[in-house]
Amino acid sequence: MSLSKKISLTEDELVSALKNRETIAIKALYDMYSGALLGVISRIIVHTEVAEDLLQETFIKIWNSGASYDSSKGRLFTWMMNIARNISIDKLRSKDFKNANKNQDIENNVDFIDEQKKVSFNADTLGLKELVTALKSDYQDVLNMVYFKGYTHVEAAEELNLPLGTVKTRVRMAILELRKKFN
Amino acid sequence: MEDVNAYIESGILELYVLGQLSALEIAEVEAMAAKHPEVKAELSAIEIALETYALENSITTSEELELRILSQFDDEKSTITANPATPEQKIIPLYKGRDEGKIKVLRFSLVACIALLVVSLVALYSVYNRLNLAQDQIATLSRDKQQFATTVSKLQFEKSGMENRIAMVDNAEWTTVKLAGVPKSPEAKMLVFWNKTNKNVLINYAAIELPKTDKAHEYQLWALVDGKPVSLGVFTEVDNAKEAVVQMAAIQKAQAFAVTIEPTGGSINPTMEKMVVMGAI
Repeated sequence: MSLSKKISLTEDELVSALKNRETIAIKALYDMYSGALLGVISRIIVHTEVAEDLLQETFIKIWNSGASYDSSKGRLFTWMMNIARNISIDKLRSKDFKNANKNQDIENNVDFIDEQKKVSFNADTLGLKELVTALKSDYQDVLNMVYFKGYTHVEAAEELNLPLGTVKTRVRMAILELRKKFN
Repeated sequence: MEDVNAYIESGILELYVLGQLSALEIAEVEAMAAKHPEVKAELSAIEIALETYALENSITTSEELELRILSQFDDEKSTITANPATPEQKIIPLYKGRDEGKIKVLRFSLVACIALLVVSLVALYSVYNRLNLAQDQIATLSRDKQQFATTVSKLQFEKSGMENRIAMVDNAEWTTVKLAGVPKSPEAKMLVFWNKTNKNVLINYAAIELPKTDKAHEYQLWALVDGKPVSLGVFTEVDNAKEAVVQMAAIQKAQAFAVTIEPTGGSINPTMEKMVVMGAI
């Protein structure tokens, strides 16, 4: 296939192509959403190589379980996003990944820590930072933890030492602000 | 209607889109969405907002990654099972070469052991045969030796008898009495030596030729003193004799000597019909 020619289909076309196991579906999905999915994966798993492997795993899972997607229950992207997030969280909590992290070479540690502390600027995430500063920080923290960092809302409540109700409210407020901004 | 608004404002729809709910809560949200268009509309708005948010935060993927991922789907209509990123874990022996080497050595050892066993069995068989041969030879040799020893002792026995007899003849003290065979045993004969001084009686196997006796009988020497037989003792066949010269009982005076064959141990009175030799002095 040609890399230069980007494919874009409507949601209905995408869903029917995916269910019919037409390869054009996966190509279109990749063109449209690979960046967004990698954005989520990369915020949970900072290792670039591992994150890229997980993106591949995500697309294979999308392809293999396309038949089980039910458009009446939500948008295709939401479904894909949850697949990507679950794969990443599984990896983060897996034994081999934890062990691999423990056994970091000392030479790699500087880069590893830099990445973890986000000292370096990532051109791809500059947009996020700008957007995020526009949000009220209390709301944004909670949403980002749940949406991008792989926390459950219960874990986020414990981490931020907030009541569960407050976390729910803040998530809703953050999304409302996003809706206002995008409209 | 207020219930629906309260439901929307509870924040549960956001958590639904974020994949944070339990199966029970998911079913509840989906039931509400199916029932109330407002809920469905709210869910869509949330989804689109988060989708846009995610797209805004995209990370550009490299061309190699795109090629790598999409190449898997090029001619795939079927389910993709193998994930090249996490290939199936194959167990590869850490020291493959060593194991093979070990097996080779063991195989060679086995062949060597079998060969050695065969050689050993052949050698054992040969040694066994030789041992049997040697045992036969030893048996033959020991039999020969025994025969030789018997011959030697017989010769010595005869020699001592002969020497004694020569001594008797040379000595004037001894009277030699010749006992001749009776009509029943004409071939029989023997000599009895009687010392004139101390009256001792000797017999010498070198000078005895008597008919054979069986195991239950032996010879008895008698002296005839004034017509009465007096026993001078018994003696065996030459084959059972220990000494070539045997001293019998002494007798002061006698007119004749005779030998009878009596049951082993001797008799009080001679069995006259069993007399084999007799000789007067």
